[in-house]
Amino acid sequence: MNVKDGDVLIDVQGLKKHFGDNQVLDGITTQIRKGEVVAIIGPSGCGKSTFLRSLNLLEVPTGGKILFEGTDITDKSVNVDKMRQKIGMVFQQFNLFPHLTIRKNIMLAPVKLKLMTEEQASKRAEELLARIGLPEKADQYPDMLSGGQKQRVAIARALAMNPDVMLFDEPTSALDPEMVGEVLELMKELADTGMTMVVVTHEMGFAREVATRAIFIDEGKIMEENKPAEFFASPKNPRLKDFLSKVL
Amino acid sequence: MVNRLSFIDSFKLNFIDASRWQYILTGLRNTLVISLFAVIVGVVLGFLVAIIRSTHDKTGKLKLLNLVAKVYLTVVRGTPVMVQLLIVYYVIFAAVDINKVLVAILAFGINSGAYVAEIVRSGIMSIDQGQFEAGRSLGLNYRQTMVSIIMPQAFKNILPALANEFIVLLKETSISGYIGLTDLTRGGDIIRSQTYSALLPLVGVAVIYLIMVCFLSYLVGKLERRLRRNER
Repeated sequence: MNVKDGDVLIDVQGLKKHFGDNQVLDGITTQIRKGEVVAIIGPSGCGKSTFLRSLNLLEVPTGGKILFEGTDITDKSVNVDKMRQKIGMVFQQFNLFPHLTIRKNIMLAPVKLKLMTEEQASKRAEELLARIGLPEKADQYPDMLSGGQKQRVAIARALAMNPDVMLFDEPTSALDPEMVGEVLELMKELADTGMTMVVVTHEMGFAREVATRAIFIDEGKIMEENKPAEFFASPKNPRLKDFLSKVL
Repeated sequence: MVNRLSFIDSFKLNFIDASRWQYILTGLRNTLVISLFAVIVGVVLGFLVAIIRSTHDKTGKLKLLNLVAKVYLTVVRGTPVMVQLLIVYYVIFAAVDINKVLVAILAFGINSGAYVAEIVRSGIMSIDQGQFEAGRSLGLNYRQTMVSIIMPQAFKNILPALANEFIVLLKETSISGYIGLTDLTRGGDIIRSQTYSALLPLVGVAVIYLIMVCFLSYLVGKLERRLRRNER
């Protein structure tokens, strides 16, 4: 499907998720449009990570629908693996594959899924590493990299699949403070290229400056969503006011 | 006067006279054949059972196979290997004329499989869930993720435990004599019964086991170092 800027990429309808008696997501409805950079913020345990992880079915919703490029991915007959190829994901803990070199980390999925040959994928890995400023690390192992470098490689690994959207699950929360900047900078560059991004984050500066929309989730519901300027300058929801007063 | 013999005389009596060394050689050959093929049976069976069990744990599928695997693990690990060997030979193959080495391979292989299965399963469980999620989020399916991401890492973690299991297996084959099979231990014992001299045949057998185990440990150590290249 050919999606133009502004078209709905992900359509979330009444999304629910509970773990036993614990209702984590309580009817979330929103749309992610192509080219948007959506920042999701909220107190810990509010369900924002669960929401993000539902978008590529790492968490299976217990109710509602998620339409990705028009296809309901919660439908059992849909090939989720095919969908996930178009949805890049970056984790808080990087989750690089420690037994593979950086190059092989990036090459693994495109080659295994027969989207590229070994040579094509290797070339693509080099391009991506040049883009994230780590061309000399291609043949090192993840353990030799700093946290910030690991996260940049994790972003490159996701980009190797040419995804239509990138999900970021607190990408800077596990980093030492001096490494947060390099990762945010890369994400900003990515946003500038027009990549659709959904970012769960505690970095209010990033949300304010890079995001095109901010969503506040609390108690499994969207309490407020707005353009970042208004969202931060004049929050309406009392919980959001309270939250912002604590973190800003 | 047997115990007054000099070492050289005793060596000659036990190993050279009447070509008694052939008992050791035949025994060693059988021990090696049984161990090698039992390890293969055990590894194949063990990985299969481990994959069934962890697939069930992760996805909730394969309920029936998981039950079968659990029964297998309980029975094999809950009874002595010697009883299992005797049952395979005297009960299961009672009416069939079957090569005893084959019986031993089956019995020890099935036994070892249960231990290998639990070792492999613990290896799979030792890998962080994030690795699995990273693989799946890239669009790899369950099998591709297991093969390319989980198993290589799990294998490295379980190598010492797996090597230990092989060493145990090699030594456990020394009960093969109970089904009338000349393995290394029985070979030495036959010599003892002929020469009435226990020291040399039995110590000789022990030394051969020791050399095999040391060699095995050396190989595993080499492999382990190779697999650790990616660590600082």
